Amino acid sequence: MANQPQTLASEARRKKILTIVFTIICVIWVLPVVCVAINSFKLNTFVKTETFALPTEESFARWSNFITGMTFGNYPFWSAFGYSALITVLSTALILICCSMAAWYIARVNSKFCKVLYTLCIFSMVVPFQMVMFTLSKTADTLKLNTPWTIPIVYLGFGAGLAIFMFVGFVKSIPLEIEEAAAIDGCGPVRTFFLVVLPMLKPTLISVGILEIMWVWNDYLLPYLVLDINQYRTIPIQIQYLKGSYGTVDLGATMAIILMAIIPVIVFYLSCQKYIIKGVAAGAVKG
Amino acid sequence: MAEVSLKHITKIYPNIEKTKKHRFGKKAAEPEKKKSNLKVTDEGVVAVEDFNLGIADREFVVLVGPSGCGKSTTLRMIAGLESISGGELTIDGKVMNEVAPKDRDIAMVFQSYALYPHMTVYDNMAFPLKLRKAPEDQIDQKVRQAAETLGITQYLDRKPKALSGGQRQRVAIGRAIVRDPKVLLMDEPLSNLDAKLRNQMRAEIIKLRKRINATFVYVTHDQTEAMTLGDRIVIMKDGVVQQIGTPQEVFNEPVNLFVAGFIGVPQMNFFDGHLEKTASGYALHSLDNQIAVSSETCKDLETAGVTSLDVTAGVRPEQIQLADADEPGAISGTIDVSELMGSTVHVHASVKGYDFVLVIPTIDFDGALGRSFTDGAPISFKFEPNAVHFFDKASGKNIIKP
Amino acid sequence: MKSKAVKQSSQIKSARHFWWLFLLPVTAAFTIGFVWPFIQGIYLSFCKFKTISSAKFIGLSNYASAFADESFQHSFWYTALTAIVCLVLINVIAFVVAYALTQGIKGSNIFRTIFFAPNLIGGIVLGYIWSMIFDGILQQYGTSVVLETRYGFWGLIILMCWQQIGYMMIIYIAGIQAVPEDMIEAAKIDGATKAQTLFKVIIPNVMPSITICTFLSLTNGFKLFDQNLALTGGLPYEQLADGKTINTTEMMALNIYNTFYSGTGASRGVAQAKAVIFFVLVAAMGLAQLSYTRKREVQQ
Repeated sequence: MANQPQTLASEARRKKILTIVFTIICVIWVLPVVCVAINSFKLNTFVKTETFALPTEESFARWSNFITGMTFGNYPFWSAFGYSALITVLSTALILICCSMAAWYIARVNSKFCKVLYTLCIFSMVVPFQMVMFTLSKTADTLKLNTPWTIPIVYLGFGAGLAIFMFVGFVKSIPLEIEEAAAIDGCGPVRTFFLVVLPMLKPTLISVGILEIMWVWNDYLLPYLVLDINQYRTIPIQIQYLKGSYGTVDLGATMAIILMAIIPVIVFYLSCQKYIIKGVAAGAVKG
Repeated sequence: MAEVSLKHITKIYPNIEKTKKHRFGKKAAEPEKKKSNLKVTDEGVVAVEDFNLGIADREFVVLVGPSGCGKSTTLRMIAGLESISGGELTIDGKVMNEVAPKDRDIAMVFQSYALYPHMTVYDNMAFPLKLRKAPEDQIDQKVRQAAETLGITQYLDRKPKALSGGQRQRVAIGRAIVRDPKVLLMDEPLSNLDAKLRNQMRAEIIKLRKRINATFVYVTHDQTEAMTLGDRIVIMKDGVVQQIGTPQEVFNEPVNLFVAGFIGVPQMNFFDGHLEKTASGYALHSLDNQIAVSSETCKDLETAGVTSLDVTAGVRPEQIQLADADEPGAISGTIDVSELMGSTVHVHASVKGYDFVLVIPTIDFDGALGRSFTDGAPISFKFEPNAVHFFDKASGKNIIKP
Repeated sequence: MKSKAVKQSSQIKSARHFWWLFLLPVTAAFTIGFVWPFIQGIYLSFCKFKTISSAKFIGLSNYASAFADESFQHSFWYTALTAIVCLVLINVIAFVVAYALTQGIKGSNIFRTIFFAPNLIGGIVLGYIWSMIFDGILQQYGTSVVLETRYGFWGLIILMCWQQIGYMMIIYIAGIQAVPEDMIEAAKIDGATKAQTLFKVIIPNVMPSITICTFLSLTNGFKLFDQNLALTGGLPYEQLADGKTINTTEMMALNIYNTFYSGTGASRGVAQAKAVIFFVLVAAMGLAQLSYTRKREVQQ
């Protein structure tokens, strides 16, 4: 027992070293983003040759990259940003409302049809998008779901699986007695759901909401195939379009839009970090 | 004014074996138990069979029985949470079978309290009134009045999570009484509380019923609650009503072995014997002894037309007295163990393979008979006159009160 | 339909009247967004078509072409290799980081926040960030990430590690924190060293998380598309002996995409058949994971 205090002291020293090591790793971890920020202020020709250097007097571009980036590829960046935001908000809201309602009905009524639907939902979670991408984009075209205002229906359809799976899991953990109390207190099914069940679903609503936001905001292929990209572009489409369509790209301007695309994500992350990490851990069951 | 009447109420769960998974947590366990004991017909499993009961206005009726006996199902049928398979339920003369729970003018207190976790205590209690579109000031007045009655005024702004079990229980009762329901249903409301709180809340419920004008239907598996709370007790087993009566009636005149054993703590002592008509009256041959039958009981047996019958006899532990071993009719055995309860001693003794429990007041502890209750020591006792109940050994029915 | 009437309390019966409100929107969207395209996709994999209306049933020959396609074979092996290397690297590093961050060192929360952050950046953006960085390094040696297969391969691995380690770390941290504190204390009192505690107590108890993460990184690796497209787009080309060319860093999802949309669209039937094969592969892994998680739920 004599060496006990010494062990504790060495333990404390080890922890200090770990903190230093992790600080260094974390600095390295954010370097790529720092790099983007630095290069967004460099003239195009210097991005490739002096990628890791700070802008010099010669290479400093001031805001010109951002100004170019705003109208890059003859498409205003703010439109892409706006469409991305519109699609993300609408889709997430639609998925949350419709799927929580359906999940409650499935968990409580549990008829044959519900079981079939639920099984299909679980099944859809393991189907890769490539399996349906061609037919889905054609179906969406036929049904005029190819605008930013209607594409949320496509997202609802393709994203229902995970959301329903998560909601059903939570609804099943709510004691039925609370809903029975609501029925006696004077609620019909609709009010039972909206006044009693939905408020209790709040933690799951946040988790699912965050997963859907992350998915829809970053999604490239689905909107690319469904939307008419001459008219409507989201941020990932806009970025990919720039890179893909020219042999030589204005790299400085590309970095500028990438930076503009990342900043809202960082703000969103820092403001609801706690929920995001919780939501991601909850969604880990996704296939 | 609320009279509740249940006529031939029946509940049948069709094809219970076919449902592999039960969805609802707590109740999922019940059908499993039911499977073995409940009657199964072509239609399915009979959870409640031919339940008849008229409940008077402001009466306090307690449904009691072991778990899975159908008492909760009956209550839930009155509430409208469970559909009624057969029979007729009326409240104040109106048939309620198909009426939605919210339109029955009932309130219910659940075992798990079922408070809305996202609402404050105030909102929980105001919720049923808000749904009925009561004016704001009236809601406020009623909620505060109920909170006052239950002593939870200082918690009105809290969420249920921040309350203790007893406080949650009060909120649940408060939510039930704010809208002055005709019928107040309680489903094992005290069973989630610890022993001390339970006694306290039991007393509060007694006080509460004096203050509010509701008819009470109360479900419990605890016979003490049933005895202390009920004006009348309904004892059920395997979906069938065994006996309906006042606490005194079911205690003194149990109709069968089940009721006799279920009511009373410690349990009634049972032993087999043969009842024989003799010249002077009746004699019970049991425990290698001839046990005297009081003249009153003899008269009743005469009326019942008994001549010779195998019976199971029952004697309550409180109605056994210590006796000298050589006294006529005294029963001798050995002490297994004795438990000092304070004012009484519970002596467990075995006699000819039967276990007996005697409740002896401590005043006799070193009393006239001069016995001490060491384990393994011999003991002799006799029954008080009129104490012995006779049940038909074959059917289990009380011979005197068929 | 016999079991339908069982245990239906009356408010559930009244809920059934509102099926159109609760169930119809999702059912309709789900049919449009998943069920119908899926069924049609299966059907079209047996057809020759450019557009859906011109589909002609040709049996299994699409599948024969898909299996014979060297670029598809190559993409399978390349995908499998990428997925497995990713799986091992990501999980080992994520677990080590998670373990270190649960030791109560200062700044754990900040480190966790930073490690997780790249996960929120979309695949396309990630691809361009890293292609800029790799090219910045490689141009000094006169090459580029799209010029040599091994650079493309390791580039993608680094990118995936950067994106996924934080995610897996979160799951591992949750798993490690769920190990009861007193169990670890009991091990300490029983005389276990730190290493013994880790291998004999913590890792066996974190096994469920390990399994979930393993499956997740495997399926994520197989489904990889955006990052692949943005980083190398499948480049460089390589000419085979028979004169055909393959994209050496093209993964399965990208291969399917290119078969669908590049050229005249004449090989869409083959592309759909490839998609079905791809689906069966990914679904098998996903269902294995689901059934495993399900089994675990039952045991708990």
